[in-house]
Amino acid sequence: MALLELQGITAGYDKNMILRDFHLSVSRGDFVSLLGSSGCGKTTTLRLIAGFNAPVSGSILFDGRDITNVPLHRRNFGFVFQSYALFPHMTVFDNVAFGLKMRKTDRRETEKRVMEMLELVDLKGFERRYPREMSGGQRQRVALARAMVIRPELMLFDEPLSNLDAKLRVKMRVEIRRIQQELGFTAIYVTHDQEECFAISDQVAIMNGGVIEQMDTPAHIYTRPRTEFIARFVGFENFLNLQRRGGVLLLENGQPLSVPEAPGTGDTFKACIRPEDIQIAPEGESLENPLQGEVMVTTFLGRNVQYNVSTPLGEIVCSSAQEHVYSIGSRVTLGLSGNKIILIEARPNS
Amino acid sequence: MTHKAKWAWLILILPGTLFITVFMLIPLFSILAGTFFEAERFSFSNYVTLFQSTYFQQVFSRSVRLSLLSTLLCALLGFPAAYYISRYSRHKGLMMALAVFPLFTSPVIRSFSWMVILGRKGIVNQFLVSSGLFARPQSLLYNEFSMTVGFVQLFLPQMILSLLGVMDSIPKDLTEAAGSLGASRLVAFLRIVFPLSVSGLVTGAVLVFTGCMTAYTTPQLLGATDTQVLSTMVYQYAMSLRDWVQASAVAMVMIVVTMVVSGIFNRLSRRINPLAA
Repeated sequence: MALLELQGITAGYDKNMILRDFHLSVSRGDFVSLLGSSGCGKTTTLRLIAGFNAPVSGSILFDGRDITNVPLHRRNFGFVFQSYALFPHMTVFDNVAFGLKMRKTDRRETEKRVMEMLELVDLKGFERRYPREMSGGQRQRVALARAMVIRPELMLFDEPLSNLDAKLRVKMRVEIRRIQQELGFTAIYVTHDQEECFAISDQVAIMNGGVIEQMDTPAHIYTRPRTEFIARFVGFENFLNLQRRGGVLLLENGQPLSVPEAPGTGDTFKACIRPEDIQIAPEGESLENPLQGEVMVTTFLGRNVQYNVSTPLGEIVCSSAQEHVYSIGSRVTLGLSGNKIILIEARPNS
Repeated sequence: MTHKAKWAWLILILPGTLFITVFMLIPLFSILAGTFFEAERFSFSNYVTLFQSTYFQQVFSRSVRLSLLSTLLCALLGFPAAYYISRYSRHKGLMMALAVFPLFTSPVIRSFSWMVILGRKGIVNQFLVSSGLFARPQSLLYNEFSMTVGFVQLFLPQMILSLLGVMDSIPKDLTEAAGSLGASRLVAFLRIVFPLSVSGLVTGAVLVFTGCMTAYTTPQLLGATDTQVLSTMVYQYAMSLRDWVQASAVAMVMIVVTMVVSGIFNRLSRRINPLAA
């Protein structure tokens, strides 16, 4: 059974509803990321779970209990803010001890648990410092310790690393994952950074326009996106229209496309393929699913060279690590590897 | 830094410093210095006479008492108002305009308005009598009560503005963080918002206290001869009794009291929030 369940949630401000009939289900012990661009509703969802905002309708179930109307301070969820939100007038120790004080934990126990937590986040010896005397990374670790020391039943992260520089971000996300696995808590993590969320999550829910487009393991999302939006999100750059006629998949120019397995139903599809899964060769060479074209733009990307090739099906982006560089205007053949092509059934409205 | 830049700051502050020195500091200190001399010799005798007079003692304690009371009332009234405007108000600009609106009229006009409101036939007394709470109109005017009312109304905007400035700079997520850690709204306010607002409270309190100590029109119009305060006493010594030395001595006492009380406010604030400026 799911630990946390959001059922038919509608939420937003005034007439501008960000979530409509929204559903989400999180299993115990999972690290779930909500991924999406700004305005997609991911932060709204997290704030509803925390209790900072209330939904207009729908219910939030936690461990079988309806917590929709349970006030924020009775939920026992840890929250880590993008801005850290440390109390500036309190020392590191008092910041971390705040939640325990609210729970009237006795002094000895408080001291023991705060010190344990500070050790866990590698901040031993910083107890008497004030937040303003610490770096961004250290502050975020204090925030982490402060949220975890209350032994929350659920940890919520709101873009916790986006105020840190790139190097520190990578280090901290490994740290967060390590601590999560060590303590075994359930976590919901909001981010707009795809690499970050793929690196630390058990499950990723990609949100778009207030709905979850796909919720799956990072590997599945990366290799088997279910919608064009997700496919674009995870690096598919080429989308070709397909029609099924008499059991054969035809491209727009009438050329058949061979793929290992075609879906059972539907007649119109989009074939999605990443730039690096397209082979490029001089014109006339025989390749799988060949397409003739002319190089329009050549971009040097360091490890690869990216080509924008104009074909009868429109512009196709491919990248190649080959030493031979095709110059602008070269006639080339592109080979679309059948087993790298993802077929997505075209929806009428997309 | 270039040689030129070294001197630039001097040129920038020179006009202001000169003006204040020539037209304020020199006259002030020459007057105040006079209070420490008796028959051309250094002495505290002016102050000894002053503090030995029971009348001065009464005026002195009334001045401090009313100023402290008004400061406290302004804090109690201003805190919730500022918190509401800063956190929950949808029409912040309008609310702020309303809060500072009294500043647009002169203290004279405001004092006269209080006379109308608090007089024997004023609306307050009309209500007290018609509602049956009192059989006869009460004397609400020309006493410490009306003076305090006047002070509070006069200086409440300063308190609200000082608090607003600080409260607006407290991030909202601090109270959310406190809430997620188990603090109810009230506890979050007491543990987070209040300590972080203390610097604004101190600024406001110093402004209100100094204002009450030095206000002249309000105690003159809303008080009576038996409710004199230090500022009206200075006027009386200087203009009615033509005793400039005694007037200056009283003025000196006012300056010292204001400075001492401001110092105490600052000390108190540091105890609540060690980081408050």
